[in-house]
Amino acid sequence: MDHSNLMDEVRDINLSYLMLAQRMVREDQAMAVYRLGISQEIAQLIDRLSTAQLLKLASSPMMLTRFRFDDGAILGMLTHDSKERQLAHAHSAILLAGQPVEEIL
Amino acid sequence: MTRDAGLPAAVPAAAAGSRSGKKAKTVLGESREIQLAIDLIRLGARLQLLETETQLSRDRLLKLYKELLGVSPPKGMLPFSTDWFLTWQPNIHASLFAGIHRQLMQHAGLDSVDALVKGYRLYLEQLPPEPGAEPVLSLTRAWTLVRFLNSSMLETARCRQCGGEFIVQPQRRQRFVCGLCRVPSRAGKTRKVLDARAGSTQPD
Repeated sequence: MDHSNLMDEVRDINLSYLMLAQRMVREDQAMAVYRLGISQEIAQLIDRLSTAQLLKLASSPMMLTRFRFDDGAILGMLTHDSKERQLAHAHSAILLAGQPVEEIL
Repeated sequence: MTRDAGLPAAVPAAAAGSRSGKKAKTVLGESREIQLAIDLIRLGARLQLLETETQLSRDRLLKLYKELLGVSPPKGMLPFSTDWFLTWQPNIHASLFAGIHRQLMQHAGLDSVDALVKGYRLYLEQLPPEPGAEPVLSLTRAWTLVRFLNSSMLETARCRQCGGEFIVQPQRRQRFVCGLCRVPSRAGKTRKVLDARAGSTQPD
């Protein structure tokens, strides 16, 4: 796959993410804050984006979202352990619920 | 903070805060109380929970319960013990719910009862019960858990291996390792679980 194809896929993901996030925020803002791991402020910002703004933001060749498990040790534990899937899922959900949300500083 | 953003301007700010005080008897306020009671009943709330968390009279709650579910609410005392939350599987479920509930209150600006309703839905979404089975953590248990945490009969501790927050007995925070980092050898090996596993065809 060549480079421009990769960038196209990044833009696609950005657009899908922003559209999904906006739908989630509009459906239920509080639940979206938890599901997306973002602050209320960011949720309100996403809510207010017009379609034109959303497209503009998504068209950046830079990935807009970030990996939420940014601790190598935890990631290893969740993926490599002989842990059952159900347990690994419960564990990751508890860890995400304990994480600080992404905020605008 | 913009926690009242979604409320109509006519509602006094106090009504959106604590529900413990007597609320002005507005039609809007009452309809919100009924909607809250409906949500709670649908999620499995017992009568004591409804009486504590809504401003509706016992008679109206009984009537609403019967209309929604077709039966009278179960009688009897609520389970009142912190022990259940400290056993292995319930502790995992309770810890997840407590984490969601705290996030909703801290970051989404919900009050405690709204965080109970939405938090419980999110909990069911994350750890859905087996088909045909009851959820491990019932709504009434989840509500009891919040009360235990508020009165410090239970606390949360950070696991020193994974960093997750888990429900613990008071004063057991030191050098705590959670039940998921150190899974007890007999954990989840009840008759029921083993039978279910033997019958399931899902690859693991």
